[in-house]
Amino acid sequence: MSSNIANETTCAFSDRRPWTVGRVLKSRPFLYAVSLCCFFFGWDYLARTLGTEGSSSLARPAQVWTALQDLYVNELAEHKLLGHVWASTQRVLIGFSIAAVLAVPMGLFMALNRYVNAIVKPLFDLLKPMPPISWISISILWFGIDETSKVFIIVIGTFVPCLLNAYNGVRLVEPELYDVIRMLGGNRCDEILHVCFPASFPAIFAGLQISLSSAWTCVLAAELVSARSGLGYIIVQGMNLSDPAMVMGGMAVIALVAWGTTLIVTALEGYLCPWKRKIAGL
Amino acid sequence: MTAYREVRVRTPLILKILPVVSIAAFFCLWEFVVRSGIVPETMLAAPSTVAELFLVKLRETDPDGALLQQHAWVSIQEAFTGYFLSLAVGIPLGLAMGWFVVAEGLARPVFEIIRPIPPVAWIPLTIFWFGIGLPGKIFIIWLGGLVPCVINAYVGVKMTNPTLIQMARTYGASDWQIFRQLCVPSSLPMVFGALQIALACCWTNLVAAELLAADMGLGFMITMGRRLAMPEMVVLGMVMVGLTGAVIGIVIDRVEKKLLAGIRR
Amino acid sequence: MAPHSSDAPVKIACAHVSKTFIQKGKQEVPVLDDVSLEVHENEFLVILGPGQCGKSTLLRIIAGLETPSTGSVTLKDKDGMAREVQGPGSDRGLVFQGYMLFPWKTVQGNVEMGPRLRGLPAAECRALARHYIDMVGLTGFEGHYPHQLSGGMKQRVGIARVYANSPEVMLLDEPFGQLDAQTRIFMEQETARIWQAEKRTVIFVTNNIDEALYLGDRIVAMEGKLPGRVQTVYEVDLPRPRDFTDMEFLRLRQQIIDASRLTL
Repeated sequence: MSSNIANETTCAFSDRRPWTVGRVLKSRPFLYAVSLCCFFFGWDYLARTLGTEGSSSLARPAQVWTALQDLYVNELAEHKLLGHVWASTQRVLIGFSIAAVLAVPMGLFMALNRYVNAIVKPLFDLLKPMPPISWISISILWFGIDETSKVFIIVIGTFVPCLLNAYNGVRLVEPELYDVIRMLGGNRCDEILHVCFPASFPAIFAGLQISLSSAWTCVLAAELVSARSGLGYIIVQGMNLSDPAMVMGGMAVIALVAWGTTLIVTALEGYLCPWKRKIAGL
Repeated sequence: MTAYREVRVRTPLILKILPVVSIAAFFCLWEFVVRSGIVPETMLAAPSTVAELFLVKLRETDPDGALLQQHAWVSIQEAFTGYFLSLAVGIPLGLAMGWFVVAEGLARPVFEIIRPIPPVAWIPLTIFWFGIGLPGKIFIIWLGGLVPCVINAYVGVKMTNPTLIQMARTYGASDWQIFRQLCVPSSLPMVFGALQIALACCWTNLVAAELLAADMGLGFMITMGRRLAMPEMVVLGMVMVGLTGAVIGIVIDRVEKKLLAGIRR
Repeated sequence: MAPHSSDAPVKIACAHVSKTFIQKGKQEVPVLDDVSLEVHENEFLVILGPGQCGKSTLLRIIAGLETPSTGSVTLKDKDGMAREVQGPGSDRGLVFQGYMLFPWKTVQGNVEMGPRLRGLPAAECRALARHYIDMVGLTGFEGHYPHQLSGGMKQRVGIARVYANSPEVMLLDEPFGQLDAQTRIFMEQETARIWQAEKRTVIFVTNNIDEALYLGDRIVAMEGKLPGRVQTVYEVDLPRPRDFTDMEFLRLRQQIIDASRLTL
């Protein structure tokens, strides 16, 4: 940056030191590689020693891989692997969208209007402590065991974090920013439009991230209880067939898909909130 | 900037009444909807029926095989064992991962592999390993509580003011001393935050574990209610889960405030 | 003697302004006690006082962000009619100590904010913003977000934002309090330059005697404790641009220091 005020900009430095054996041993990539090797070899070793032929309770990594290939090619209850992935993802997306569309405006509304807050907050506090999974039974009583009951569970599970974060996002806005708007000649409408909404954006996204992981938990629980398709169904089938490779294959796919959706939301957030500073963390 | 800000002293009376009205209206509507038959009794039980069943279940074991307080006691036992185990493992692990490069390098990849798997997905495996007894459920609950503990402790250490660390280094403090005297205390607020989050996770996973693999406990009671087509039992189970969770949450909040009194002023 | 700003008509006047805050619902804290002052048109008035003497509160009352417990603030509008200040408005622009830029808007977006809120056409907003960004020397940084800027640059944006809204009175609340000493002197020179380029009525709050003497036509010194009262008013009749080492400058500086020592 060259200008008359270049002295006011800050720079980041990184030092370069020669690579020594000690530094390689303590470097992250090396440790990560060691860790992953230990994890997979340890897993393989455990599976080989613990499991006697035929009645193994832990599948070897290679077996899981074979099981996944098998699921990918052959149908299980009318769906191949990607069909099951899509079945679960579809449920998550539908439930998640419904919850986000309902909860975020409601959270904003609660934060902006004291009277709405006084009416809705107590009901919300009443229902909040019930874990979404405890709604599975009642949703089966209400909607049977088809798609609706699963989507319902996901809506319940994602509603709370969406609403809470939108609510807190607005309430934690720097109050002096409202002063700025008023000082520049804006009215209450401008305050909401130019301060509340953008300021609560990062919090809303954090809420969406939490809801997303909650949604995956919910969809799995619902599918474990009753389903004819989806990743939870693969796991249940694996359990019923006493096939740990299938169960663990299902788990691996869930991990992958959940991780993928989280990445997508993070990318979306980075795209929509370019002002947000990157915060170190997991 | 002046430190004094005008505080709004009185809230309008209506703001104090509205919450009460809202809750009362909710229960009245619920009762009415069931009594009038808009929602059939096979799908939802009126609050009065639930209250009645609550009193009955305190004395009778039928039809699900145990008293209400036995169910609750089993659930609390499982939840707390899993919870404390996850605190005992997760917080030291997270703290170590935050400070020691070797600990982070070795633990993080494995943690990142396990993290995206919802604990619920482990249920079938734990049934293979432990059957449907206590250990399996404790394992699920432990897994559920572990993730927030590790993350919060890790972030807490990472958020230690770097200038303080440099100051400690100029005094010649060793890595271990800085960790003990500086990083651990400064991460405490985040660690205490984990107590609440982990509890909520544990409680959710408890219900999931009991729905699928249990012969006693509040989650089991909910499942039995559905199998027996008794909506009042399902609702009672849900209310009990919610209530117990809320009470434990409040207790932990109190403990946290007491313990943190010195840190947060 | 050069034509002095106090010959100009009164632009804004505080009459017997007092303010009491209520702390934690019961304890009363008197912050301002019977403050009266007049600011003339296109005058650079500096309110000088140490921390915690109610000077920021006085500025917030003039801005309309707080209401005085007793007393009133009157402002003469464009038609020459004096009217009492009721709440904040775009006729007074406040520059905040903590910058208070919108983190989700770029430099351009921040400066455009005022004209946008007043409903000016977009092209005009953009032109206004470009003009004032150029005036504060930030050309080339229009697309940056506040977190990418240094403190001094942020406060330039804050000043440009207020200028772009073309207020009749500009209020600056310790605008350079968070800057390092060198940047601060540079910003003071810039402020004097910008003010001379486009004269406005300015009320500038500071705790720095040099800053007050360098910028002010008139300095209102506050007492050093709560409740805030006006202690003395100094006329600064030095030619601009001023010199920090001028004999007259140093004499006034010593005079203010001696006087304020009595009350501390």
